[in-house]
Amino acid sequence: MNWLSLVANRLIWFLPTMLGLLAIVFILSRVVPIDPALLAAGENATAEQLQQVRERFGFDKPLPVQFLRYVLDVAQGNFGISLFTQQPIIHDLVARLPATLELTLVAVLVAALVGIPLGVLCGLNRNSWLDHILRVVTVSGLAVASFWFAMQLQFLFSMKLGWLPLSGRIEGFPPTPVTNLMVVDALIEGDGDMLGDALRHLALPALTLALPAAATVVRFTRNGVIGVINSPSVAYQKAMGFPRRVIVWKYVLRMAMTATVTQLGLIFGILLAGAVVVETVFDWPGLGAYAVRSILQSDYNAVMGFTLCTGALFVFINLLVDLLQAAIDPRGAT
Amino acid sequence: MTKTRRDALKTVLGSVALSSAGWAGASAQSGGKFVYANNSPYDNLDPHTIFDTARAASRFNLYDGLYRWVDNPPKMIPWLAESHSVSGDGKVYTFKLRQNAKFHDGKPVTANDVVYSIERIIALKKGAASLYLDAIKPGSTKALDAHTVEFNLSQPSAIFLTTVPDILIVNSELVKANEKNGDWAEAWLARNEAGSGSYALRRHDPAVGWTGRRFVEHFAGWTGQPFDDVEFRTVLETNTRVLGLIRGDYQGADGYLPYDQIQRLRQSPNVQIIDQESMRVFILALNTSKPLMNNVHFRRALAYAFDYDGFIANIMKGSVNRNPGPNPNNIWGTPPGLKGYSYNLDLAREELKKVTEPLRPITINALAGFSESEQAATLFQNTLRQIGVEVVVEVSPWSVVSSRMRNAQTQADIIPLWKSTYYVDPNNWVGELYGTRYHGTRTFSYYSNPEFDRRLDRALVSSDQEERRKLYEEMTQMVNDDAAGIFVYNTKWYGPYSSKVEGIRFSPVSNGQDIRWASLKRG
Repeated sequence: MNWLSLVANRLIWFLPTMLGLLAIVFILSRVVPIDPALLAAGENATAEQLQQVRERFGFDKPLPVQFLRYVLDVAQGNFGISLFTQQPIIHDLVARLPATLELTLVAVLVAALVGIPLGVLCGLNRNSWLDHILRVVTVSGLAVASFWFAMQLQFLFSMKLGWLPLSGRIEGFPPTPVTNLMVVDALIEGDGDMLGDALRHLALPALTLALPAAATVVRFTRNGVIGVINSPSVAYQKAMGFPRRVIVWKYVLRMAMTATVTQLGLIFGILLAGAVVVETVFDWPGLGAYAVRSILQSDYNAVMGFTLCTGALFVFINLLVDLLQAAIDPRGAT
Repeated sequence: MTKTRRDALKTVLGSVALSSAGWAGASAQSGGKFVYANNSPYDNLDPHTIFDTARAASRFNLYDGLYRWVDNPPKMIPWLAESHSVSGDGKVYTFKLRQNAKFHDGKPVTANDVVYSIERIIALKKGAASLYLDAIKPGSTKALDAHTVEFNLSQPSAIFLTTVPDILIVNSELVKANEKNGDWAEAWLARNEAGSGSYALRRHDPAVGWTGRRFVEHFAGWTGQPFDDVEFRTVLETNTRVLGLIRGDYQGADGYLPYDQIQRLRQSPNVQIIDQESMRVFILALNTSKPLMNNVHFRRALAYAFDYDGFIANIMKGSVNRNPGPNPNNIWGTPPGLKGYSYNLDLAREELKKVTEPLRPITINALAGFSESEQAATLFQNTLRQIGVEVVVEVSPWSVVSSRMRNAQTQADIIPLWKSTYYVDPNNWVGELYGTRYHGTRTFSYYSNPEFDRRLDRALVSSDQEERRKLYEEMTQMVNDDAAGIFVYNTKWYGPYSSKVEGIRFSPVSNGQDIRWASLKRG
């Protein structure tokens, strides 16, 4: 199967997946005991005004009709208006998405850069003291609550040592964005101070997100390496007299990476969800913080928009993972 | 001759003239930046649709009203208006505006702007609108000339003047220019600003907050070393706000932090805690319309079954004072010596014996994210169980609770919550909470008592302060006798500020977020 058909095959599943997600999100939003018309009309609205709002937004129609209307709106990129920001939700999401993407991508990058080499080392030195120590560390990394870990990092690096900022995305109010990815904007502007500031602000939230992710990457890479290191192909390469360094980092790693790459895709989705907590603790102005505020204020359209946006991202990342896997191991590209 | 309440107010207002505060011709030196960490999002800056005390900063720093509440006990001082008069029948209020007040774009503040602002409030029916919907009809407010505006009330209102500071004036030309499809520019004003306030908006990012630059041409002038720049950030996590104050990242934060966090802040040399008796009463609101809850003996049993002292001593760590009635201790309208109820399970059982109908499980709907509300619910559940009353505790966000409160049938039996200050008059508490006229809007109780309502109707139109005092005292006594609510404590405001900041003026209406008075300590 070529890459084009692989992409087409995955995209066929995109629509039903999103439709299923839409249905779940829509039903959940309607079972919560709040009158959406009341939220839209304001707490002083009269019964007559409430009725007008119901008719205007179609809240008086049967649920299937409301759902159909919502699906059609979403298909046209219309997620509705946020009850509290009074802005189109798509604008709110677009404004906040870069902050979350930047944080999540850096966290995944850190997790991969730390987790893969450590996983390889553990796999090559199975049951050694290094393997045992890293097992304890990785299990702890998976077990620790992210909000607790975030607070410990704040306490140590911001309060005790004073090395890193406590919260926020940049010192003071953010400058007018270009891409709204602070690191990228700083590079575009050639602003070294801003780059340093953005990286310092990224450090703690990214580290918080990266810890459990790196732990997962270590475990999967280790298992992959162990599975491959005793395979006939590696025995053949040894017999051919290839240097150990080449065997490990070129052949073993490539074969062992399939599961790790799949995990990185899943991790990305998990980190998007995990960002809800981390963004709140670190006052990070991304989608997670937006979701928390929307949930607390019962801004259903915004919550549904966030869920769909995150779901679509997750599906997209999985497509990328599939493509990456096909590149690493073409045999699996089906 | 009886001295009327209006006369008294005029005297007060006259004595607090702007010139006496030394504003006229005053100048100021550069004063740096003030960063405030808030627990509520600044996702909307529209002064006519947001009305919660947590976001007072955008209303009172970017906008001005005709009058303004300052200090504690709160004083109402002339602001955009320099004086007012009231007609003999108490229905026509005429305000004279200052000549020198300007909006941030340089346009003078005129009577037309006041007319537009009140029309907009009434039309949108959000925010402070419920204070005016009964009294002011659309089209009834007139601009007599550029600096004279006349409010024609549909009926006399004894509380109208106290609510005038909530009519924040917007630049009508600017707002009209941004209206779309008759939306009163609601979408535009959520993200932009059209005020004359002490600070002019520079940037707003709903995800972050907003920044403002001192409006040098503000009509009140400037003294001392006010802050040149203000930044109000949304920091939802309490721990982050506290650590930020200790580190010096923030110069101020909201004043209703949990008391253990206040104690933590007291240890820091970088932080000062300004404590003030506020006007925010913690109530266990009883839905008196539901079966069993409409039985006065059952309600009295409930009132005797709450451990007031234990709650204040153990959960609030003794940081607040008992408030036995619906009105805050520090305002008039409560009968002298009102004791309220005390924790006594024997008396509770005696009251329960007088209840003839079968008991049913009672629902307490606590506010999610407000630990005191949740803890009060749990504590009450435990003590009620001791007298044989089963309780189901539900925890919901405020939006869910308030949505349910719109209807007597959907409101829970008991809700532990606070009643904040929106205007300084006992009607804000005992009147709104227990008057039948407020059912479905500002009531927490669905209490209905013709004798109470008769007094309330009179108190809302009387211009005789002594008569009003007596009426509200009688109403408060009725509420107490009928155990129409369970009143626990009056909140103390512990405003955490940088130790380098001085001049904070706390008022229960603006909650220490009116920053024009503050400055950095020098030297």
